[in-house]
Amino acid sequence: MFRKILIANRGEIALRILSACKELGVKTVAVYSEADRNSLHVRFADEAICIGPPRSSDSYLNIPQVISAAEIANVDAIHPGYGFLSENANFAEVCEASHITFIGPSPDVIRMMGEKDRARAEMGRAGLPIIPGSPGVVADEAMAKEVAAQINFPLMIKAAEGGGGRGMRMVRSKRELIRAFQTARTEAEQAFGSPNVYMEKLIEHPRHIEFQVLGDRYGNVIHLGERECSIQRRHQKVLEESPSSTLDPGDRRNIGEKVVEALRSVRYSSAGTVEFLRDVTGEFYFIEMNARIQVEHPVTEMVTGVDLVKSQIRLAAGARLEEVVGSVEFRGHAIECRINAEDPETFVPSAGRITTFRVPGGPGIRVDTAAHADAVIPPYYDSLVAKLIAHGRDRSEAIARLHGALDGFIVEGIKTTIPLHKRIIADPDFVAGKFDTHFLERLPAAAAAK
Amino acid sequence: MARKPKSDRESEKAIRGVDLNEVERLLVFMQKHRLEQFEYERDGVHIMLKKASGHSVGDVRSARASEPVGNQLMEEPASVPLPAAELPVQFVEGKAVTDELHLVKSPIVGTYYAAASPDAEPFVRVKAQVEEGEVLCIIEAMKLMNEIEADVAGEVAKIFVENGHPVEYGQPLFAIRPDRKR
Repeated sequence: MFRKILIANRGEIALRILSACKELGVKTVAVYSEADRNSLHVRFADEAICIGPPRSSDSYLNIPQVISAAEIANVDAIHPGYGFLSENANFAEVCEASHITFIGPSPDVIRMMGEKDRARAEMGRAGLPIIPGSPGVVADEAMAKEVAAQINFPLMIKAAEGGGGRGMRMVRSKRELIRAFQTARTEAEQAFGSPNVYMEKLIEHPRHIEFQVLGDRYGNVIHLGERECSIQRRHQKVLEESPSSTLDPGDRRNIGEKVVEALRSVRYSSAGTVEFLRDVTGEFYFIEMNARIQVEHPVTEMVTGVDLVKSQIRLAAGARLEEVVGSVEFRGHAIECRINAEDPETFVPSAGRITTFRVPGGPGIRVDTAAHADAVIPPYYDSLVAKLIAHGRDRSEAIARLHGALDGFIVEGIKTTIPLHKRIIADPDFVAGKFDTHFLERLPAAAAAK
Repeated sequence: MARKPKSDRESEKAIRGVDLNEVERLLVFMQKHRLEQFEYERDGVHIMLKKASGHSVGDVRSARASEPVGNQLMEEPASVPLPAAELPVQFVEGKAVTDELHLVKSPIVGTYYAAASPDAEPFVRVKAQVEEGEVLCIIEAMKLMNEIEADVAGEVAKIFVENGHPVEYGQPLFAIRPDRKR
């Protein structure tokens, strides 16, 4: 086991990693920007080193500073958390070169999964279902017709060199195809300097289903079930749960086996999440893999009883998967609410000093947070204040416990999205498990709901 | 830098290395000797205690004579010290009252070396005169030697770190008394 680990992150995940280290008897080193001088993980760590001014690029993303801190503190390993340097293959390589264990997959695997096209191609070859589409750039109208015949309608034409909706067209029928192809190309050329477009099947009313995996250094991989993360705003997850109310045990086994096989073939190690879109017919389509621990990992921890962060550390130290996780059992249902420092209607960020912070408790309630009364939420980083997770025997009990917990979570001094979560879990469609990734857009505004 | 105080009470009783218990004792001392101003420097921290201008202890006392704030205030002014908290004070950290001390802080995390090599002379000692841009020390980070330069010309008043010790971002390395502009 490692003697000392440096936590290359901040906020709630830094605290999470710190607690796993304490359980394992590992000494901790916190690195922090000047804006985080008084934060909890800095105060609780055995050692703390200031690595820069508030801006992330000058501190948490500054590889030389982080590595230098690791060297002077003489650590054995670095846990990168999520975001920041966690999927930076270059950073993982620098760690290796400095004889520091990077707690995550190998640099090559990180790189592969980071290049989304390459990940899709490789995972497709390894047996995962991928979104049908053109093999690459669609050169001309003839090719456009061919691809359309293969993948069917509706489909999306997308600019190869950029995004943000420019050079993008939805096509519902053969009639519209050629004109859409031409205008997409023109728009792409104007926006990005290249008319190149590719084509992809449009997944309508998709549900976002992701599988949690763990792998050791010896080629063994398992999955720990799925999470449903369809409640999103602008592609940011707001609420996650496990299991998905839309998967039956057959689906789970089927896709789960494919995921494990595909990841064994690339010798995936440490924690990771394989993300899919599922359409109304029940088909799964691989979209990407996150080669790191994720924000919503507690949902899986509550349902399986497996400590994913502790597992990451043990696996990185050389333990075999069967020692760390025997067999996986699923018990009950868990739901996580991401509570952000934002206006619950306009989503405008609300930085500042928290004056009251009363956290709920009781059976089946878990709160992961680095916030507290008198803490200052700085404006430099993401707005996540706390994760509230409720676990119950089944989905109804989890929702019921969540109601009570949200009512009992008092935060004053800043605005939070607690009221939004209350509206989400009260919504009949949510309760019935009938939703897709457009759910939040359709949720009536608070005033209208009254 | 890296080690943290074991007890929370210890850390509450100090602000940036200033021992508040000591300051309270100094305030009482000032009271007793009817001092208007008291200043001293130690361990890189400069403290100046100064009563709000125009007021002597007596003035403050008489302004409150009509308010029955407590038994202490009813007695003869000279014999009873005011509670330390009532004296207006200024903490001036790292700055001399008469001249400004400029702090050179580490821009990176690394190991501080006073000289270019183990047997070489240190780049500077206390009281050395330095030019702007002159190399003051080396900070080694990831096997690279980074030269830290003076950003003002003046006299090295204080060196805060020891050779071979680790330093973090923003850690004070040197205090320089800048040359007065001609």
